[in-house]
Amino acid sequence: MTDIRDGNGLAAAEKLYTQYGSRARELKASGKKVIGYLSALGPVEIMTAAGVLPIRLKGNVSEAISKGDAYMETIVCPFVRNVFDLAVKGKYDFLDGMVLPHQCDSIDRTNETWSYTLGLPYWHFLNVPHVTDDPSIAFMKEILRIFIRTLEKFTGKAITDQAIADAVTAHNNNRKLMRELYDLRKSNPPLISGSEMMKVLVAAMSIPVEESSALIEAVTKEVKERKPAAANPKAKRIMLIGDQIDDVAVIEAIESTGAYLVMDDLSTGSKMYWQDVDATADPVQGIAERYLRKLKIPTTFVGSADTYQGILEERFGHMKKYVNEFKVDGAILFIYKYCDPYGFEVPAIKSYVEAAGAPVLYLEDEYSTSSLARVKTRIEAFLEMIA
Amino acid sequence: MAEEKKGRAVATSTAAKIPKFVRGNLSATLKAKEEGKKVAAAFIADGQDEIMRAMDIVPAWGESFSGVCAAKRDAEKYLQKAESDNFSRSLCTYATCNIGFDMMREELGGATPEGAPWGGMGRPDMMLGNGQLLCDPRFKWPQATQHYQQDVPVFVTNMYYPPWDPNADHHEQEAIYVKYATEELRETVKFCEKITGKKMDWDRLAATVELSDKTWDLFIDTYELRKHIPTPMDTGDAMNTMVPLTFNLGTQEAYDFYVDLNAELKQKIADGVGVANPEKYRIIWAAGLPSWFALGDFQYFNGKGVVFPVEVTYRGCEKIERLDLPKTNDPLEHIAWRWVRYWTHWYDAAKKRPGSTPKVERIIEYIEDYKCDGAVFHSAFSCRSWHAGIMQQAATLKKVYKDIPILIMEGDIVDISSYNEADTHNRIDAFIETLAAYKKRQG
Repeated sequence: MTDIRDGNGLAAAEKLYTQYGSRARELKASGKKVIGYLSALGPVEIMTAAGVLPIRLKGNVSEAISKGDAYMETIVCPFVRNVFDLAVKGKYDFLDGMVLPHQCDSIDRTNETWSYTLGLPYWHFLNVPHVTDDPSIAFMKEILRIFIRTLEKFTGKAITDQAIADAVTAHNNNRKLMRELYDLRKSNPPLISGSEMMKVLVAAMSIPVEESSALIEAVTKEVKERKPAAANPKAKRIMLIGDQIDDVAVIEAIESTGAYLVMDDLSTGSKMYWQDVDATADPVQGIAERYLRKLKIPTTFVGSADTYQGILEERFGHMKKYVNEFKVDGAILFIYKYCDPYGFEVPAIKSYVEAAGAPVLYLEDEYSTSSLARVKTRIEAFLEMIA
Repeated sequence: MAEEKKGRAVATSTAAKIPKFVRGNLSATLKAKEEGKKVAAAFIADGQDEIMRAMDIVPAWGESFSGVCAAKRDAEKYLQKAESDNFSRSLCTYATCNIGFDMMREELGGATPEGAPWGGMGRPDMMLGNGQLLCDPRFKWPQATQHYQQDVPVFVTNMYYPPWDPNADHHEQEAIYVKYATEELRETVKFCEKITGKKMDWDRLAATVELSDKTWDLFIDTYELRKHIPTPMDTGDAMNTMVPLTFNLGTQEAYDFYVDLNAELKQKIADGVGVANPEKYRIIWAAGLPSWFALGDFQYFNGKGVVFPVEVTYRGCEKIERLDLPKTNDPLEHIAWRWVRYWTHWYDAAKKRPGSTPKVERIIEYIEDYKCDGAVFHSAFSCRSWHAGIMQQAATLKKVYKDIPILIMEGDIVDISSYNEADTHNRIDAFIETLAAYKKRQG
């Protein structure tokens, strides 16, 4: 087990980041069941309540796809392909099962490719709806209950409402701790770099929630003890927007130019940690509402306001808050190729965030470091432009 | 100037009526205002078309218009227009073609851009999207379009069905899905009532739904005539004859079209007239939307004695009696049952064959019923909805059924830059050689 104590939080995060899945492998060896999941829609509260370890799967941007393309089309999201490739190659051979939440076509339409190719003992496609009206909440509760029943069958143990409520408390606490760590990015310069933050975010999604909370607390304490450095008045404060960026490569490309990465709207970052589950009499109600109505992801359709501007506020208002609270000078919208949900939002996000006061650089790229030099050049040109 | 390509010849005279249908649908959107009707940007196969027909709302089918632009090889200007505002070329080109057109129309204050294929489409009064298990653009596209048509309200509903899981009994989940779909359709009705200012005529909707059922039945009866050897109609035609079912469901014109097609196919069978002469190989079009700019490739196949008596694509219905729909007096619930049972129709068959999937079972059923020798899939690079998972289908088909010749063609639905005719024909030739060797082995 990675040693997490005062003074070594960042080192522990570095280790968990570099050896992704190492803790899951240890726990598996000790008899715990490990369930992998994709995307911010994985209902971790239910998996924690079931007594399994939920681990969010990531790819490896430095590793070329070598086996996955024999099974999955190259028109699929490059992130999904990369994770699948790693799974085919045995990187996640400790998994007892997987949950694929219905986020997008790249996940939905490859469900059978994943399940039939990997042949894991447990498999579940969680059919999350795309709309948020009252019938959708009722439906979401039904599909969460189906999910609970399949996990109960797989583990042989009942998942009580109390266990779910306890897991909700634990994960809410985890989110609160992470938000407190984010607060340390508001200073100038931020107390924690974007690269360090990314390692913590990635490490946190690979370990049990209590260990994740301990890790975040240790990092926060360590970072708070840092002596504030002198700010570089020329350094721009950048926000990164996208889905699953889970590697420091792009962050280092930004920070190596001298800019500060101070905030994100990523599915591995603030999207995961900004919204809690409400404690409700039926704990599944709170979970349904959090994942369907509170999570700000492009596959959940939002549009109830009477005016277009009102709809934009519903969809992207949180980004305006980030721009103000974290004093963002510019934003980088980093979208993977073949991503319809994010791709169709680009003009709207770009104009909205720019109206909020932060110029936006839009980059479409692969989930790979192969094009990093080109990306870095674009970032440098953007930073020069907003200097 | 756009490159005009000579339209493909059609094997049935009934299919020659299709351009009139498509033009009629487009012009209806342009004439709607003077007729006092509302126009809704809409999507196919999502259960909302009968609601629109029963409320005199004119559907503006973006997928159809983009297909027309592609078939006329005149989509590039719209794709480029969308790209100019950062819509990637890797996104759904049905959507980006349409968005580019809409952007141009907005710049002209609502006037139709000059040179729009077949007169273009009218500006909608509303956009009806749908969250489905099969297509993200169906709700992202209206949302993206609203950026340019900010006064046009968007309503998105959800229409799901139980996901395939060989270890689960989907029948146990059906009621949840039907209830949800019914409620979502009811939300659609409320939205349409608000926009049109008119109440739904439920008797009219019930009659529309009944007519749709009849059309589904007649469509399947007609298409099953293609089992005959030689087949009287090919997929090249079916990519046209799908129009009334797909875009005009719930109308008498759609039903009448299949009456005519049915009669023509019976006559061809009686006369011994087939698509290819001689008919050497029978192939299933197993999955994938076609390259609308290259429908002539079907004739290339036909010219080599290869016919497609059956296709999965755009066969978006099944005989109603085979779906065993529970009785209900609620037309919306009937629509919900019809779609949920359609999308899950091959689940029970898949359970009986270890390692199979519903999509593969459907292909196997057609291969057997239509006596096919091989399968062709088409993978369109800009569309994940219908094309991600094709490799898995092809591999499973070989594994659980038999090692039949399979060709996976690559291209796009709209973007012609992905297409190379010489390469495509070379691949078809190689596939036909494989077919010949396979048939020889089969004796």
